[in-house]
Amino acid sequence: MAEQYSSFQRGGTRWLLQRVTAAFLVVVLAFHFFLLHFVNHAYEVTFAQSAFRMEQLSYYSLMILFLVTATFHGVNGVYNALVNQGLEGPQKTAVKWVLIVGSVILVVQGIRTANAWAGYGFI
Amino acid sequence: MWAWIFHKFTGWVLVGYLFTHISVLSTALSGDAAYTATIRTLEGLLLVRILEVGLLAVAVFHILNGIRLLMVDLGLGLETQDRSFYASLVLTGAIVVASVPTFLGGL
Amino acid sequence: MSTQTPDTKEETEESTTSTSPAQARRMEKKRRRAEERAEEAQAEAEAEAEEDTYHLKVFRYDPEVAGKQEPRFDDFHVPFEPGMTVLDALIYARDNYDPSLTFRHSCRQAVCGSDAMFVNGSQKLCCKTQLSDLQEPVRVEPLPHQEVVKDLVVDMQHFYEQMEAVEPYFQTDELPEGELEEQRQTRENREKIKMSTRCIWCGACMSSCNIAAGDNQYLGPAALNKAYRFYMDEREGEDVQQHRLEIIEQEHGVWRCQTQFSCTEVCPKDIPLTEHIQELKREAVKSNLKFW
Repeated sequence: MAEQYSSFQRGGTRWLLQRVTAAFLVVVLAFHFFLLHFVNHAYEVTFAQSAFRMEQLSYYSLMILFLVTATFHGVNGVYNALVNQGLEGPQKTAVKWVLIVGSVILVVQGIRTANAWAGYGFI
Repeated sequence: MWAWIFHKFTGWVLVGYLFTHISVLSTALSGDAAYTATIRTLEGLLLVRILEVGLLAVAVFHILNGIRLLMVDLGLGLETQDRSFYASLVLTGAIVVASVPTFLGGL
Repeated sequence: MSTQTPDTKEETEESTTSTSPAQARRMEKKRRRAEERAEEAQAEAEAEAEEDTYHLKVFRYDPEVAGKQEPRFDDFHVPFEPGMTVLDALIYARDNYDPSLTFRHSCRQAVCGSDAMFVNGSQKLCCKTQLSDLQEPVRVEPLPHQEVVKDLVVDMQHFYEQMEAVEPYFQTDELPEGELEEQRQTRENREKIKMSTRCIWCGACMSSCNIAAGDNQYLGPAALNKAYRFYMDEREGEDVQQHRLEIIEQEHGVWRCQTQFSCTEVCPKDIPLTEHIQELKREAVKSNLKFW
């Protein structure tokens, strides 16, 4: 019976999550690009403008979700590309953990930055 | 085969960019002046502007081909999947060319 | 310029009466030029005759023979007849030019799967590929991403191992009631799996897959299609179905497929391999989700 439970982790979950995050990112990345290159211009950016956006909870939450989703989608993509290239054994485990740690650092750094703009305590 | 190769290549570029992007943005942790100065300096360089156009191309292709892949995964439009790849390429080119003035403006 | 030849004849006749050294040299030049022109004309005629031949460049390699340990390409000019296939050309070359040319072939009617090769840059069944459809020179190479044993023969062992790994045989624990009763399959079910039954184990698909090339453990399109053929067969019971699913939803099973579509493109039996693998992925996701 125990095997039935383990079948859940057989790569199917990450495959599905990659698609779900993809669908989300299609919309949000396009929105992000549009907002920051066409509505506003990158060369006109100031701390104050970014802070103005981040202080709104809806935008803040969206950006955090965007960061987490993009990090998962990208890092999972990289991991899969390496497995497709033939990565296996202890190297595979090592790479997996390096990627996980890298992702955590990225997300934490992103949240800290967002907090700096939004004026929240944890930076 | 080329669709797969381009999708992988653009994927790697975007992941590389994501890490770079967050690093650049995190100058905001050092305060107002540091952040604004960093962004303004970078945006003042022509090379950066050109790289941004490249980034747009990479992101747009990855999004459009990604939509194609999502359709394939859902079992929709399998008969025309090869043509939809060419369509993503063409559309990417069109969007990039149309966006160049905006991206190079204000230099 | 064929009028020149009679001229030189006349001139030589004239010169026999009075030959100055300069004149003699001029005569010599004219004669040589006439000879060259005659040679060119003959070469042209030969080339025209050669248009009835097809130029093949065939990969040669033999680790046991000195002089063939470095891979090379041999040129064969094979007389062309309408309807000739690449296999016909190879057999002609072997029978008439070089008996050491080695390649697998058997049925010559696209059912045994022996003669899959890399022809002009893509995987093809030689007995099914018309020479007239191909641009000269026709490059014939062994299937890529597999070890070459000799000339056009590759080691198919890995391919067979992946096929065996999905248990490519009918299994059921649900037998019909009566002793002599047949186990029936509906027409619709047969229709559904019809294309997937056409596999002739030629190996073209696996050879064309970039992921199969990189990841040695990947089951590959042929094996997954075989799994599909049995998974979708309604005569196998649910337990067997679940068992089959567990084999193919391993990490190096269906999930490694990146929908590259190369397998579907090269399959000589027109099996929609990618589509079948996609269906299996959806089945796996659905079965895992139901767990909650």
